[in-house]
Amino acid sequence: MEGTATHKAGKLVEVRVTYDDELEDVTIRGDFFLEPPDALEELEAAIEGLPTDSDHARIVSAIQRVDAQLIGFDAETLATALEEAVHQ
Amino acid sequence: MRIIHGNPFSEPTHHALDQLLLDRIATGEREPVLRFWYRTAPAVPIGRFQAYENEVAVDYVREHGIDVVRRITGGGAMYVAPGDVITFSLYLPRADVPDDVEASYDVLDAPIVEALQDIGVPARHEPLNDIVHPDGKLGGAAQLRVDHGVLHHVTLSYALDLREMLRVLRIGEEKLSDKAVQSAEQRVERITDHTDATRETIIEAITDAYTERYNNGVGSLTDEELARADELATERFKTDDWNRQR
Repeated sequence: MEGTATHKAGKLVEVRVTYDDELEDVTIRGDFFLEPPDALEELEAAIEGLPTDSDHARIVSAIQRVDAQLIGFDAETLATALEEAVHQ
Repeated sequence: MRIIHGNPFSEPTHHALDQLLLDRIATGEREPVLRFWYRTAPAVPIGRFQAYENEVAVDYVREHGIDVVRRITGGGAMYVAPGDVITFSLYLPRADVPDDVEASYDVLDAPIVEALQDIGVPARHEPLNDIVHPDGKLGGAAQLRVDHGVLHHVTLSYALDLREMLRVLRIGEEKLSDKAVQSAEQRVERITDHTDATRETIIEAITDAYTERYNNGVGSLTDEELARADELATERFKTDDWNRQR
């Protein structure tokens, strides 16, 4: 299955995800800032492979394990957009 | 700080110069630089993490040969045209810039706000990265930090054609009703709506405001830098691999 959702609390974050039992292909896009920029692929990879029914705290903690500074958004925003993409 | 005006360049070359000069500051090969951009054609710089097809009217930019170039900085898409915007880049050693990102936008935008106020435009900085007039947004900044350097670039709308902007960017695509146009026009304010000052006068005022804070002198791009920027433009900023990566 596939879903896309956007969430805006500061900068816009759009998450597109394909999933079955696990979250498979994740793409994060938007007008946010991220340091270093290459960490975006790491964020996507950190989410991929999580069980699709992961609770909010587990998704947030997977995102927070990535060594990156999220600017104009945060792990909560990103997790919320992801959940909306899955449950739409 | 060296002030560089330089020649008009294509959009990809400007972005290549951003990458190159940030690198040269970070390695200490160059002193801090303030570089004003002069463009050859209308273009759309989009944010590093934005979705290409969400931001630009894909058919329209193809038919009109408008360059869409992905920046090395985050942030949003803009429509730009020669003479209608003021764009400049600051390249600074990281040690000269506050560690706190929000504070650093405020500090580095302060001279622009001051310059606009001096010519009678009531501008102010609005976190994170906007420069606003009471009636709407005049422009914005975007930063990239590397180990030892910071790029802070700014674009201000001087006399932008807002109807063309709505044709080029997807914000205008949904409904080009008078109402939609009106609301976009309300979001974007132009310096010319508020002053008769020429673009050159404003560039001078911005230069002066930065000069009060930094010890400035005139600089130029070397032949080697221009050649390297051309290579970088070809390798990255002219390619779909980069520009349409997301």
